[in-house]
This record gives sequence, C-alpha cells and structure tokens, in this order.
Amino acid sequence: MNSFKAYFKKEIIEAIRTYKYLVLFIGIIFWPAMLSPMMLKLLPLLLKNYMPPETMSLFADFTRDYAFQSFLNDSFQFGIFFIALGLMGLIANEVRLQRLVFPYSRGANPAGIVIAKYIHYAVTISLFTLIAFLIDYLYVDRLFTGGILTLIIVLKSSLLYILYYCTIFSVLLYFSSLFKRGLAAGFMVVILAFSLSILNQFETVRMYLPNYLILKAADIVHVFDNTLFPTVIISICLIILFVFLSILRMKKIDVA
Amino acid sequence: MIKVVGLKKNYGRVEALKSISFEVEKGSVFGFIGRNGAGKTTTMNILTGLIRFNGGKILIKGKDFQENKQELLKSIGYLPETPTFYDYMNAYEYLRFIGEIIGYEGKNIGKLLEMVKLAKQKKKRIGAYSRGMKQRLALAVAFMGSPEILFLDEPASALDPEGRMEMLELIEGLKDEKITIFLSTHILNDAERVCNKICIIDEGKILLNENLSQLYKSYIQPIFDIEFEEEPASKIDLLKKLKWIENIKENGRKISIYVKNIDYAKREALKEISKLDINVVSYQIRKSTLEDIFMRMVKQK
Repeated sequence: MNSFKAYFKKEIIEAIRTYKYLVLFIGIIFWPAMLSPMMLKLLPLLLKNYMPPETMSLFADFTRDYAFQSFLNDSFQFGIFFIALGLMGLIANEVRLQRLVFPYSRGANPAGIVIAKYIHYAVTISLFTLIAFLIDYLYVDRLFTGGILTLIIVLKSSLLYILYYCTIFSVLLYFSSLFKRGLAAGFMVVILAFSLSILNQFETVRMYLPNYLILKAADIVHVFDNTLFPTVIISICLIILFVFLSILRMKKIDVA
Repeated sequence: MIKVVGLKKNYGRVEALKSISFEVEKGSVFGFIGRNGAGKTTTMNILTGLIRFNGGKILIKGKDFQENKQELLKSIGYLPETPTFYDYMNAYEYLRFIGEIIGYEGKNIGKLLEMVKLAKQKKKRIGAYSRGMKQRLALAVAFMGSPEILFLDEPASALDPEGRMEMLELIEGLKDEKITIFLSTHILNDAERVCNKICIIDEGKILLNENLSQLYKSYIQPIFDIEFEEEPASKIDLLKKLKWIENIKENGRKISIYVKNIDYAKREALKEISKLDINVVSYQIRKSTLEDIFMRMVKQK
C-alpha cells in the first residue's frame, strides 16, 4: 500500500511537470471534442465559393448524429495516438533510466508501482473521455440540428470508449514493461489498435475483440445491446491479465 | 549479518560472478575492492535486490534473501555509484516519495537534508543539481530510516576532497553506531582508513578475504630499513655473512636488509646492528600498504 500511495502521488506530479496531462487533454478533449465540431460546422462556409452547388448540398445533410459520429471517429484516431505516444514510456523509461534503483533497493512493491500507474492514468483517461463527450454533445447540440442524439446516448457511448481506452492502456503498460524503448511499445499499440479495427468487418469474431466497443459506441440507435456482453467481459479480463503480466514482469526485471 | 555462499551471476555467456562466498559481520565495515569490471557493482546490485542471480545463496540477518526480500530491503540502504532521480522533483519531494515507500515520517526529512547540507537547495529541482549534490542527496536516501546495513558503491567518487573527507568521517561515525557497512571502492587509502575487513575481487572471483590487521601481518614484507648517522661502509660486510640475511641494498647512510625469516630477523636484527657500533637514526620493518597487497594479489593471480 505504501508503494501504491507513493507512486500515485509521484505520477500526479510527473504528469503535471512533464506535460502528460496536457498531451492527453489535446489528444482526447481539445482536438476531437472542441476543434473537430467547429471545423465540421465551418467547412461548408469556407468551401462554398470553391465547390459546385451539388457537392455543397452534401454538407446540408450534417445532422447532430452525423456530427457525433464524426467526433467518435476523430476521438478513436487521436485518442489512440496521443495515449500510446504520450504514455509509452511509463515503465520503459523508469527501467532504462535506472529510476527504480532507489525505490527497489528500499523495498518498493512492484505490484504497488504498476497498479498506481494503471489506476492513475485509467482514471485520468476516463475523466478526460467523459469531459470530451460532454463538451462534444454541447457543441453538437448548439451547432447542428436533426437526428436522435440524446445525452443518455452520449454517456453510453462514452462508457464504451472509456472501457476501450482502459483496455488499450493496459496493453500499453505491459508492452512498456517489455521493451527498453517506450517508442517500440507505443508504435506496437497503435498498430494493434488499428489492425483490430479491421476485424470489425467480420461479424463472427468482432464481438470478442475490444474494438467492437468502438463500433457499438457509434451505433447510436442501439448503443447497449446483448452483443456487447462478451466484449465487455473480455475487455475487463484483458485489463486484469495485462496489469497482472506487467506486475509479474516488474517483479522479475533487473532494474540496474 | 550478511552471508553469501557460492553466488553466481551470468550475463549471457559471460560469467560476472564465479561462485563467490564471503561473510560480513555485524557492525563491521567490509571493504570490497577490485578493478573496474571485477564484479563489485554486480555483487552490490544483487545484495540490494536490483538484479537477479543465477546460483548460490544469500542470508541477511539469518534470513534467506530471496524469500524475505521485501522485508529485508526495509533495513538496507544503498548508495549507488551514479544515483538517478526523478529530475522534475526537488530534494524534499524525492525524500518524501522514498519516505512514503519505507514508512519514514515526513517531519524528519528536514534533519536529513541538513545532515547532507542540502537544506538550502531543497526546493531546487534535482535536474539542476551538480554531481556532488546528487551524491549527497543519494546519501540522504541511503540513510533514511536508519538502516542496519549500508551498501556504499564508490561513495566518494563524485565528491571534492573536502566532501571525501567528510564522507570518510561519516563512515567512521557509523562504525561507532554499529551499522554494518559494505563499502565498494577503488580508492585504497579510503578502504585502509575505515575498513575492518578487506575482500579483493577480480574477474568475478574472490582473491582474498581477511581482517585488515591480519592482512598486514600476513603480507608484511621481509625488509628492514635502517638509517645510520654516518655511512656504514665496509662494516656492512659483517651483516652479509649472517645466514638469515638474504641481501642488503646500500644507499648512502641508508640500508635495506632483505631477510629469509621475518620472525627470526625480528629477534636478531637489533642485536646484530648494535654490534656494528654505528649510531642508528631510524629502524623500521617495511609495511605493505593495501595498494601493495592488492597489486601483489592481482599479479599473482
């Protein structure tokens, strides 16, 4: 418990002073939730003098639902990039730069370290994601009309995104403990996340993969349905598995 | 306090430690001496739980180190040769962070900072510290919670002469407090000054492990250096005839007598010199320094 508390506080200080919160804010909130809806609204106005009227008529179909789905799409792409590349060195850098020498030599508990890191950033990512969805709903509701989008749908979608990001982050944490260079862990997670999205095209397997959460979050007519059950269970199991594997790795790793 | 039996460590095909064994008594200062790459830091890293080992057994305070690692490490302090910190923290924050891990009360951190003379710079980011300041902060981390065993890896290497003297005085002070100190160094004068026991390691093997006083006795050189008031000239020939004398080197008023049996020579030398009827200014048995012993051991190997 001592190691958990010490590392949880340390992660907060580190996230502030090394601008990790800022990186996550840009990737999860600012870009997809604040900038994208504005761009979507301003795009027809910017292009109206340069595009033929037939093409311009396509922009007239932008409803609240479409704007929200556009946000989800941006959210997935930017979120994955910023989470993976912003947090890729969480364990790798600690080991490579020998920053665990003092804590380990004074009996720090590897489980406390890993769990503190996971919980701190899982909570941060979850909060940022929730805020991003609420901000986007606010913008979409003010800037666009039509569609069936409600706050409840937005909240349901945000929960699926939170679970998805937390799953991906657990994989990232494990990869970060495996590789000496955080960049390798970051790129592997990005490649994995985008590769798994391709499997969403196969109905028989997609509900057993975490990326199905992303697909369902965009299905605003039926965000929550029975098909999500195996996905949620598997995602939670994956989180537990990868955090456990990270702890195991940190118990056996040479830190000097 | 520390018992190491048949400790082995491999890095791939390279054998860094080849089944080494030694014992460190409670309250002693154990000098661990060796050339660069001899295996000193590897041994220390193993004994402080930072790296794993491939074979052997470690007992600390009578308990198996591997089975009770977490518990035993609470009573161990380690000062690595090149300490690394979270550079974005200041000294106070870092000590609080380590203090929280070992359950050390935050109110004592001020005293610790004063002890290592960093109280004035406690709010300055560690990234802006000099190497000497980092070394002193590392010392504070090692001392935190009054550990029973201290591992010091080249503690004076980054310090200026004044800092080095202070460090040696500190170690001598800790000796009085019955703290067991495992000191790795290649500054042999430092080891000679503070250690009770010396262990020489080379290429992953222990070459020697003895009490310092016993070491001087064992490695005393069979040479008597004598200085006369005037040049002894031909009178020396009388000594050359003695069976227990191997050789005599003359250098003006000074002579060096190389003997075959040191104990016999200790009894007879003064008697024979007095027979020469020349005033003696100084008489001494040449002592081996730790450096002589170290060089001899390594060369012999």
